[in-house]
Amino acid sequence: MKKLFKASAAAAMIGLLAFAAAGCGGGDKKAAEKKEVVKMGVTNFADSLETTDNYFGWVVMRYGLGECLVKFDKKMNSTPWLADKWTISDDKLTWTFHINDKACFSNGNKLTGEIAAASILRTFEKAPRAQSMFEYESIKGEGQNVIIKTKKPVPTLPGMLGDPLFIIVDTSTIKDRDTAKQGAICTGPYAVKTYSKAKAEMVRNEHYWDGPVPFKAVDILTIDDPNTRAMALQKGEIDFAINIAAGDLQLFKDKNKFNISEISSLRDVLARLNVRPERPLGDLKVRQALLRSLDRVTYNKVLLKDTFVPGGPYLPPSVDYGYDELYKQDPNQYNPESAKKLLEEAGWKDTNGDGYVDKDGKNLEMDFIFYSGRAELPLYAEATQADAKKVGIKVNLKNVDYNVLDGIGRRGEYDLCISNILCLQAGDPEVFMKQYLTTGQEQNGSGYSNPEYDALSDKLSVEFDPAKRREIIIAMQKVILNDAASLVFGHPQTNMVSSKVVADAEILPCDYYWLTKDIKPAQ
Amino acid sequence: METLVNGFKNNRAFAVTSILVVLLLLVAVAAPVLAPYDPTQATMKDAFLEPGAQHIFGTDKLGRDCFSRVLYGARASLSGVLFLVASVFIVGTTMGVLSGYFGGKVDIVIMRISDMMISFPGMILAIAVAGIMGGSLVNAVIALTIVSWTKYARLARSLVLQIKRRDFVDAAIVNGGSSSHILWVHILPNILPMMVVTAAADIGALMMELAGLSFLGFGSQPPAPEWGLMLNEGRQQLQTAPWLMVFPGLAIFVTVVIFNLWGDNLRDVLDPRNNAIE
Repeated sequence: MKKLFKASAAAAMIGLLAFAAAGCGGGDKKAAEKKEVVKMGVTNFADSLETTDNYFGWVVMRYGLGECLVKFDKKMNSTPWLADKWTISDDKLTWTFHINDKACFSNGNKLTGEIAAASILRTFEKAPRAQSMFEYESIKGEGQNVIIKTKKPVPTLPGMLGDPLFIIVDTSTIKDRDTAKQGAICTGPYAVKTYSKAKAEMVRNEHYWDGPVPFKAVDILTIDDPNTRAMALQKGEIDFAINIAAGDLQLFKDKNKFNISEISSLRDVLARLNVRPERPLGDLKVRQALLRSLDRVTYNKVLLKDTFVPGGPYLPPSVDYGYDELYKQDPNQYNPESAKKLLEEAGWKDTNGDGYVDKDGKNLEMDFIFYSGRAELPLYAEATQADAKKVGIKVNLKNVDYNVLDGIGRRGEYDLCISNILCLQAGDPEVFMKQYLTTGQEQNGSGYSNPEYDALSDKLSVEFDPAKRREIIIAMQKVILNDAASLVFGHPQTNMVSSKVVADAEILPCDYYWLTKDIKPAQ
Repeated sequence: METLVNGFKNNRAFAVTSILVVLLLLVAVAAPVLAPYDPTQATMKDAFLEPGAQHIFGTDKLGRDCFSRVLYGARASLSGVLFLVASVFIVGTTMGVLSGYFGGKVDIVIMRISDMMISFPGMILAIAVAGIMGGSLVNAVIALTIVSWTKYARLARSLVLQIKRRDFVDAAIVNGGSSSHILWVHILPNILPMMVVTAAADIGALMMELAGLSFLGFGSQPPAPEWGLMLNEGRQQLQTAPWLMVFPGLAIFVTVVIFNLWGDNLRDVLDPRNNAIE
């Protein structure tokens, strides 16, 4: 009797487990077969769709909702988008952008010069970051033209208007909407049906001005954990995903099932170094020692399986700003013996035999701030800790939430602070070159200040000639390398992996464009 | 003590699990002798090596030997959980005894605090506490102590309330025994076996909670070899380097099973009702 009871209990348990397992998955197979509704897996940092808040405009553009006057091509040149052409006056102070006659919003309203100008003014009114990009004398709309007068010549203005901060919104309807939850009315191929940080339901913009929109709906799921994202794609819970982790790419090598679109990104993974005098990295020799203790080539080739290019110069090899030459000139390449010597010269010695160098009874310790939203960041952080230990530097890792990173960076509450950053935010590295290292910049929490660097930065601001701009930018990078002012770990490849349900899911170097009208159902 | 020795002699299951517990503790103590490599020594060129002759549990993302890390992990995990159990036991029992014996306002205050603590979901509160204090093994132990002491306080209080009414306590009071004397000599020894059995049975569960906090990043911090943290580190390579999760996971599983079985057997040995039946 007892045996019978046990056997039936076991059978019931197996049955229950099978039932539970059957409940998992399945998903929206019907919809996927029709190829009208697809699902995309992404990482998302935005809890709002207000384009002027924080960097949330990025998400508005990535999700196919918003568009700018200007778009970046594969080489990061500024090309027409909502504006089909633009000109600059002889005094280099007045820009005229002509709006495409076909352009209209998802509510059917025509996009005119007035609305575009009002949208840009709204951005200036609400976003302090816009004011740090350029100062305007006047912005007005005349017919299909937007006329922008600047106080000083701004060579990269078209590129700046390609930044998602300047997404064009329908200002005539903006007051009726909760732009955080519903988003503003924009001109992109998709409109938002519902939005939360965890999930966005995008639907076809029936009034789209620039050709047919392939999908009736796209569900965008936030799957911040890279491993979970990869598994969701393998299992068919999503149809395409952004940025599959380096280690997991090999899971999608079967060309009959998946497409991998991979490209050298325009990104740096870099650690800002706090060089204030009271901090250990305030000493140039300590900075040099730290940089020389780190085997960045191995990090990228072995730990990240060759999906990152080793860092050194401030700008990535995917743009033409002298990466190869500068890499060779980098005085702080891996050389642990010279790192030890430098520490000794700076007065740091291991006097108590604990494995860490010390001075005046204090160990050489540094706080390394990182977040784990991107798989490579903890890896670089731990590799730094392990390698720095070998020369006697104690690195304390501090894992923080992404949302507090910005504040920590501004206030300089770190010795090293790592992030993965887009270097060509406005189609040009000027903003990036300045934001962390020019004296007095809001983001310069590191306290770095070098008159030579500042002078080059000022020169860059008013230089229109591309060749001369390139020279200045290379010179700025040389200063950074010689001052060991920043620790560039590597430059990532970026990818979009799609199942065979979708076609033309191609990742672009510029990080703003994920869901575009070009991604279609497979034939 | 005598009961334990008798239990060891007469209860085979208790004997076997006790030996296993001792073995586990020995592994933790002897980790430096047993481990073939330094658990924090990164040889990055050997990252992600599969289990083989040189590294029987393979290597992790920084080329560290997983076998050595699992062995050293026993130190962090076991010492962490033993500290945790001890602190929960001491805090909870003390509060419970004071509350039960003195009653009145003391009882009301302690029990209402305890009610408040119970009304929060335990793990979430632990995450909040550990999050505020910052991630470290010590802070994780403190966080879990804050969450878990109430169970012991309530149990101790109810036991004290039962014992307080017994004649020998009244006799001690009539004889002029001070409160501290009565608590130490008459009450504590009588509630101790039950409290110890509860603590022993809780080791497994608390180990899971501690590993859970480390897994979430609120416990041990890199590069410490701690099983929960190792699970988290291996998570990113779940499909490409599964050994990074399998071995720490197995270590947690085996340890929790051993402590749970030992706790059950210890209850059998110490429970006065079982002795009475015999």
